[in-house]
Amino acid sequence: MSSTNHLHQRGQIPHPCSHLADFRSKHGSKPFRLLQKCLRVKPLGRAEIRRDLHEVPRCAACVASAASARPRLYACVACAVVFCHSSPESSHAAAHADSMPSGHEIAVDLDRAELFCCACRDQVYDRDFDASVVIAAAAATAVSPTAMRGGESETMPWPESLRKRRRVDYRPWMPDPRERVLVATNSSRLGGDAESNGVCSPLPWGLRGLNNLGNTCFMNSVLQALLHTPPLRNYFLSDRHNRYVCQEKRTNLGNDKNASSRSRVCLACDMDAVFCSVFSGDRTPYSPASWWQHAANLASYEQQDAHEFFISMLDGIHENVESDQRKSQNQAQAMQIVPRGSAKIASSKLHLAYNGETESMLSGQRGGISTLMGCLDRFTRPERLGSDQKFFCQDCKVRQESLKQMSIRKLPLVSCFHIKRFEHSSYRNMSRKIDRYLQFPLSLDMSPYLSSTILRSRFGNRIFTYSGDDPEGSTELSSEFELFAVVTHTGKLDAGHYVTYLRLNDQWYKCDDAWVTRVSENVVRAAQAYMMFYVQKRFHYKASEKLVTS
Amino acid sequence: MRGSINRPPTPDAEEDRGQDLTLQEIINIKLIESGEKERLKELLRERLIECGWTDEMKALCRAFTRKKGRNNVTVDDLVHVITPKGRASVPDSVKAELLQRIRSFLVSAAL
Repeated sequence: MSSTNHLHQRGQIPHPCSHLADFRSKHGSKPFRLLQKCLRVKPLGRAEIRRDLHEVPRCAACVASAASARPRLYACVACAVVFCHSSPESSHAAAHADSMPSGHEIAVDLDRAELFCCACRDQVYDRDFDASVVIAAAAATAVSPTAMRGGESETMPWPESLRKRRRVDYRPWMPDPRERVLVATNSSRLGGDAESNGVCSPLPWGLRGLNNLGNTCFMNSVLQALLHTPPLRNYFLSDRHNRYVCQEKRTNLGNDKNASSRSRVCLACDMDAVFCSVFSGDRTPYSPASWWQHAANLASYEQQDAHEFFISMLDGIHENVESDQRKSQNQAQAMQIVPRGSAKIASSKLHLAYNGETESMLSGQRGGISTLMGCLDRFTRPERLGSDQKFFCQDCKVRQESLKQMSIRKLPLVSCFHIKRFEHSSYRNMSRKIDRYLQFPLSLDMSPYLSSTILRSRFGNRIFTYSGDDPEGSTELSSEFELFAVVTHTGKLDAGHYVTYLRLNDQWYKCDDAWVTRVSENVVRAAQAYMMFYVQKRFHYKASEKLVTS
Repeated sequence: MRGSINRPPTPDAEEDRGQDLTLQEIINIKLIESGEKERLKELLRERLIECGWTDEMKALCRAFTRKKGRNNVTVDDLVHVITPKGRASVPDSVKAELLQRIRSFLVSAAL
């Protein structure tokens, strides 16, 4: 893998300290190879350093052993003597490094199999050593726990829950008595069809047909998906953007500055309006007339691309948030839910709009049934750059052949996959639609496509390069997604029809402009998907959505 | 000479080791050999994640790193600064649970 060397250049991987570099140039990789023999993998897959199975290592200076809990034990990589190190008061390991001629700075943490530089007082990374730890750990997890403990009989099996990192379970919120009173006194019950019409509506709240205003199914289909995007819906239904307040504010602003900004349309206000009418309980189809003005380039009576409309909506929402001077942290977060996955090329910070780039592979010639996972695999597989596309490596000062691999750096709350269903043939100089069927899962695990996963499989566990510039992002915990909306297209490139399938309360509904009908899951699975909307599993509250219906 | 006849068939090293081990060390070895130590560690990790301690420590480390500048921080600095706070903020319930597990292990191991 030629590119691994060249990842150093971007500062993603810490530079080796001068002591480690000196050590390597003096001794080569031999000491690390010897260490490899002492690598033992503990039952749960963590590595440690022991010369033999029952060794009780202790500090050569103060006979502290691992049982005395406090200090960590380190073995000098040069001469294998074990010393304790507890920062910063007492460090026999550092004393050892000082007392010896240079070359004894590098030590290895016995219980963690991590390299430490006693002079820098910092953890250091050696590619060869880390690679051997990864290989040992992988080999150990491949065999059964009994085998790896040297045939010792295992009395208790390892419970599955211990192997996997478990997250705290979701607990639904229940109002306490005080809150119950508050809710009861301050809220008015939505009328709904049930009482006014005397008919018990089987449809969940918020399902309302949208009138076609003349070839506007592209807009309706995307609106339906947006209306049922859980974070977005929660944001607007909790009155976070009140159109009356916003209007007042804009009027005042307009008086201060100039009259032109008064007439400016606010996307969030229209969102608020459409959320209000759709969740009002009224089931007669709604006409989203004001929506056109948000996509000026699409406002005509012609057929349009749903994805294009979707992208202009996203841009509008983002712009809206950025221009809002008094945005609160929460608002910013809620607005960020919109699917802007960021993909990476090698280690450079190149953000791609996921939507455009990801799915170019459906057109690839492959046998069998195309699946969404297959597309993602293809998207994230390494690709060797040709000799005409060499990257300049700052370490070697020459252009090097490199490997390019895309991966997803941070998962958004909501992911939208756009399937490339049209292709342009330069040979015949015409475009055509690809009607190929694509299989998509209802639950999707995105973890294999994350940068952290891909880097970890290459470099081992110790390098968490992404946490640095992504302060609160813990991407690993939220890689499971649930499908909640599918926009499908039938017909040809220039004339066709968009229909949205919504998953509410684990039941599928077909939204075909003004008509909303309940359909079976198989109908959805068989549909020709154009855009698929996934939301992080923790936002897909099946149980709480039941409460909304009742 | 007679002593050697009665000696149990354990290797020398094993016996030598037994002589100068403290009780703490013996318990530690038992814990390791039975695999209980790893289980306890995993349990502890899980509990600390659940109660938010891990996130709290992460936030402290990040704040410290940000204050000092990301290139001026060593692992040692972090350990030195964060350890006292970390030790102080482990919830008592977690400590109690771990202690209980160790106690019942000692009983079952009949030490």
